[in-house]
Amino acid sequence: MDQLSDEEVEVRDEEEEEEDSDKDDQDLDKMFGAWLGELDKLTQSLDDGRPEQPPQQEAPLRQETNMANFSYRFSIYNINEALNQGENVDLDALMADLCSIEQELSTCDSLTLTESIRTPPSRLQVRQKAPTGHHGRPALASNFSLDDITAQLEKASLSMDEAARQTSSHSLSSRQHRRTGSVGTVSEHEARSIVHSSRSSVTSASRVSVNSASSMDSLDSVLRSSESDGQQPSVMPSAEGEEQAAKLKAENIRVALEKIKEAQVKKLVIRVHLSDESSKTMMVDERQTVRQVLDSLLEKSHCGYSPDWSLVETINELQMERIFEDHENLVENLLNWTRDSQNLLMFTERIEKYAVFKNPQNYLLGRKETCEMAERNKEALLEECFGGSSVSVPEMEGVLWLKEDGKKSWKKRYFLLRASGIYYVPKGKAKASRDLVCFLQLDHVNVYLGQDYKSKYKAPTDYCMVLKHPQIQKKSQYIKYLCCDDVRTLQQWIHSIRIAKYGKQLYINFQEAMRRTEAAYDWSSLSSSSIKSGSSSSSLPESQSTHSSQSDSGVSEMTSSGHARSQSVVSSVFSDAWRRGTQGEFKSVHLLCTYSTQIYKRY
Amino acid sequence: MAAWDLSVTVEDLGSDAPPVTLSVDSGLHVGGVILKLVEKTQIKRDWSDHALWWEQKQRWLLRTAWTLDKYGIHADARLVFMPQHKPLRLGLPNGITLRLRACFSSSVFQTVMGICRMLNIRHPEELSLLQPVEEKKKKKDKNSAEEIYDLTEVPLSSASRPCLYNGMPAHFADSPQMEAIYKMLSVTQPPPAPEVIAKQYRAASVVDKAHIHGRWLDSSRCLLQQGIQENSRLWLRFKYFAFYDMEPKYDVVRLTQLYEQARWAILLEDIDCTEEEMMLFGALQYHISKVSQSEPQMLSSSAAMDDLESALQSLEVKMEGESSSASEMLENMTAPELNDYLKIFRPKRMTLKGYKQYWFKFQDTSISYFKSKEESIGEPIQQINLKGCEVAPDVNVTAQKFLIRLLIPAPEGMNEVYLRCENEQQYAQWMAGCRLASKGKSLADSSFQSEIQSIRSFLAMQKTSSGTHGNAPANDESINTHSLVSPRYHKKYKAKQLTPRILDAYQNVAQLSLTDAVMRFLQIWQALPDFGLSYVVVRFKGSRKDEVLGIGPNRLIRIDLAVGDVVKTWRYNNMKQWNVNWDIRQVAIEFEGNINIAFACVTADCKIVHEFIGGYIFMSTRSRAKSDTLNEELFHKLTGGHEAL
Repeated sequence: MDQLSDEEVEVRDEEEEEEDSDKDDQDLDKMFGAWLGELDKLTQSLDDGRPEQPPQQEAPLRQETNMANFSYRFSIYNINEALNQGENVDLDALMADLCSIEQELSTCDSLTLTESIRTPPSRLQVRQKAPTGHHGRPALASNFSLDDITAQLEKASLSMDEAARQTSSHSLSSRQHRRTGSVGTVSEHEARSIVHSSRSSVTSASRVSVNSASSMDSLDSVLRSSESDGQQPSVMPSAEGEEQAAKLKAENIRVALEKIKEAQVKKLVIRVHLSDESSKTMMVDERQTVRQVLDSLLEKSHCGYSPDWSLVETINELQMERIFEDHENLVENLLNWTRDSQNLLMFTERIEKYAVFKNPQNYLLGRKETCEMAERNKEALLEECFGGSSVSVPEMEGVLWLKEDGKKSWKKRYFLLRASGIYYVPKGKAKASRDLVCFLQLDHVNVYLGQDYKSKYKAPTDYCMVLKHPQIQKKSQYIKYLCCDDVRTLQQWIHSIRIAKYGKQLYINFQEAMRRTEAAYDWSSLSSSSIKSGSSSSSLPESQSTHSSQSDSGVSEMTSSGHARSQSVVSSVFSDAWRRGTQGEFKSVHLLCTYSTQIYKRY
Repeated sequence: MAAWDLSVTVEDLGSDAPPVTLSVDSGLHVGGVILKLVEKTQIKRDWSDHALWWEQKQRWLLRTAWTLDKYGIHADARLVFMPQHKPLRLGLPNGITLRLRACFSSSVFQTVMGICRMLNIRHPEELSLLQPVEEKKKKKDKNSAEEIYDLTEVPLSSASRPCLYNGMPAHFADSPQMEAIYKMLSVTQPPPAPEVIAKQYRAASVVDKAHIHGRWLDSSRCLLQQGIQENSRLWLRFKYFAFYDMEPKYDVVRLTQLYEQARWAILLEDIDCTEEEMMLFGALQYHISKVSQSEPQMLSSSAAMDDLESALQSLEVKMEGESSSASEMLENMTAPELNDYLKIFRPKRMTLKGYKQYWFKFQDTSISYFKSKEESIGEPIQQINLKGCEVAPDVNVTAQKFLIRLLIPAPEGMNEVYLRCENEQQYAQWMAGCRLASKGKSLADSSFQSEIQSIRSFLAMQKTSSGTHGNAPANDESINTHSLVSPRYHKKYKAKQLTPRILDAYQNVAQLSLTDAVMRFLQIWQALPDFGLSYVVVRFKGSRKDEVLGIGPNRLIRIDLAVGDVVKTWRYNNMKQWNVNWDIRQVAIEFEGNINIAFACVTADCKIVHEFIGGYIFMSTRSRAKSDTLNEELFHKLTGGHEAL
């Protein structure tokens, strides 16, 4: 019995590590995928791979209704919580959620709602008792002594945990299940079924250990705990030391606080369209970087790893686009879109994303002509430019066309790029630094690629770039349009501006992307045919490092389906689209809704 | 062997004393000569630092085992017996003069190493000694009054690393005077008076700069060989602008002096920058001087203690964070607010209405306004979220104008909103709130109070600078903004015009710590296009006119002297080899792709150019060499020229 509790702590530690990883959403992603009937294959392969089949599987029909139930409860809850705290919450977005949810609610079991919001304290007991048995009481008492708010929050957030726990303990030992007398049977039953159904659809692993209760956050840990099922003793402990109780108490407090933090995390539902007209929906939370989102997209779409995969924002209204940088926060950027936005988020391969690092001689040396350079010299050049304590901005200068504020005409000016911004030489002056006029500073603007401006704005050429604040979404005098004579100059300017703006971060992004590509190659060469491994592993370092976001399923899938889907389009999606999805008429709609993590985390 | 007479001047006997005559033979080694000499003078003292200097040949006789014959010394040789370490007046980058004992017998490279060891500056290879520009005679009386910090009493040690006491070399802990010197070395100087800046020599053209760069001492020869006498004045400066392994923890003096050198380069327009950059440099200088006055001891605690301290602190924060987050939440519920009557104006709206007064409420990161205080319970007329907006001050204390200009991004573009405050107090609070909100922080943020404070101190600055000019600053916080920018801007702007511009730039740096601010200053300096260029006027082979060669940390550039444009850039990365023909004083360089250039140097000896190129090659090898020890041999190989062969 001591053994068990030790193990529990261990497993929880693992969960802690996973807590912040980007895998949090994979289960969600897959869940959405399952809805759309896209993950059948994956599920199939997983099932095949696992000898222990789930003893019970829920009917998919049931699963959907439950899911709706379940998440609405929590979004309501979170609104209340947010209001109470007076935190900075996007109330508009939440209101939108609420409206869309409202209809669904009417069909919901109202009992469930009230149950989860006003959870009786006794429910906490269940949580304590399940693992610790009779001696869990001291820990219990201390839980009650927490501050009112904490306790309340915890209670609510725990209710889901505990529902899951009940379920799992139920499946393990029916003995434990009997203790949950105080819980309304309806909600309990429902919650359980949700947990089971979602899990079975995603991982096909139904035998979930007691410990996985709080690990609902991550698919990975679910997988892990299901793996460890084999060693799980079937008899629950009956006695527990004081020490363990104290540990548990501390753990519970920590978990509760974690939950409180989690509860404030914004989430966004975005939709992935693949080039073959199919689509994927995924969820991103506000902490995720573009790199993390790219990783999970790559993993799901089975397109070969390449550092060139990009998330591209296209602003149709303004005919411009921008490749999101890997270190950028995706949610933050998407929140700049307006509600009725025609913007698109593309998931596509763009060779220009890291062109500056592949052929630095064409960008960093300020040369007019394209040329070749030995790899060794490229590295030296990059090291020289990005390795030091400060990044030297490429010496970009030359005549560009500028569209005058609000006017239709384009005027020539001599522009210079400096680390502190873009300048131009005023008329009749030499280009001495002190006489330069600041055109704009780069802190608040991003550089976009203008599309087809010859016809839209009567630009001299179609090689245009745009500088604007990311929040500006419509025509405005604050958007600056610049036009270059040729595509080469345009690319040089855009790259140089990116370097001036992001500096070393850009290089770090590239290195990180390369590392992942190499790791992916290693994986595929390990498990795929000899032809492939023969060609790729010879040229790549044989690192044993496993890629963090590469789950077992990802590998097996990747090798089996190869690079079938190479291009896909992601667009973000409405909450009502999400709802429609449950009714089977999922369509591409743009825009986003914010959800609290808690809604989805529980799956 | 026949004995002959050798006359040696003993410096310590005084300049009037006749030379001591010794009877020697050609087989006698130098050590023997010194022994005889010391015996003859009959002075009992420590002679260990003394050595023989051969005046005609301009060389030291340091190999005591060599015989006179081997050195080629005959009876006509004039030898001087003198200490190898002699006092030198050393001008530091911060403008302060130190008096210290430097080695006159070893190569300047080693001399600089010794000086840096004494001053606790790491990576001495980046520094060198420069002959100062001659000062005009009328200034002479002033100079005699100049304060000179004396370090001549510091014992000479050969240890490669001085033992540290409280983060500074032990010799600085000896007395309060010594500690004061260390403070001078490691703490930035207050901004100089505008008159001081105006009086300093300024290189007006690239040719002037080239002349200064021709004054670097030869690092492979010793001071005495280059005509440097005891008590001469030399400048210690960073020569190679490739700063390796900057570590604020260990590089207190190095960083401070580098900052000072950069600051003066900016103030004297030694390096060109734009007006916007100048304002940012000004803001950083202001911030650095302010912070270094308030936390002068910050950097002197030992590294190990720092680690422990920070570890403990972060632990504390963690604990607090865990235990009190519930109460924090309670606090958030009663988040601080600002409520007041302010006037608002929207310049871009096509209305003729001027400022209109409303009851304003600042909560979290948003401003909302109501018709009146009484109606503030209901729906606001408008709510503006300031997250991500640009905040600019528009203040004139004398005119009692306190304007906050907000540029708020919206999908349709940027919305301009002006908020007019009644007084300084109100302005400081609301301005601080706006600044925090623009960064997404609420009024509850811990930096709110300090933000208010810094705004007020800046307002105070404007007050004093707009007052009478001759007045001495009333308190530490008031700095004449003319002290922060180059003289060009003294003419262009009045101090009170300058203040809001610097204040504008200041808001982005106001939260930086001292070290971060210094680092930021250096980074911006390093990012200037002309950073790190040393100029030499040269005559390219086959060309009939003088041109300028710019030598940078990673490249050579050819500049047209007449137009000032860069004609061509060559990178060291592509360099295959370089040669110096010492007979015709010509430097020849070969680059990849069969590019050959050759030039003769006009404003500097070609040894200086050779040393610059070799020196930068050496600097770039440091990252590859794992060991921390300085590869002196390699440096001399790369920079020594024919003497090294």
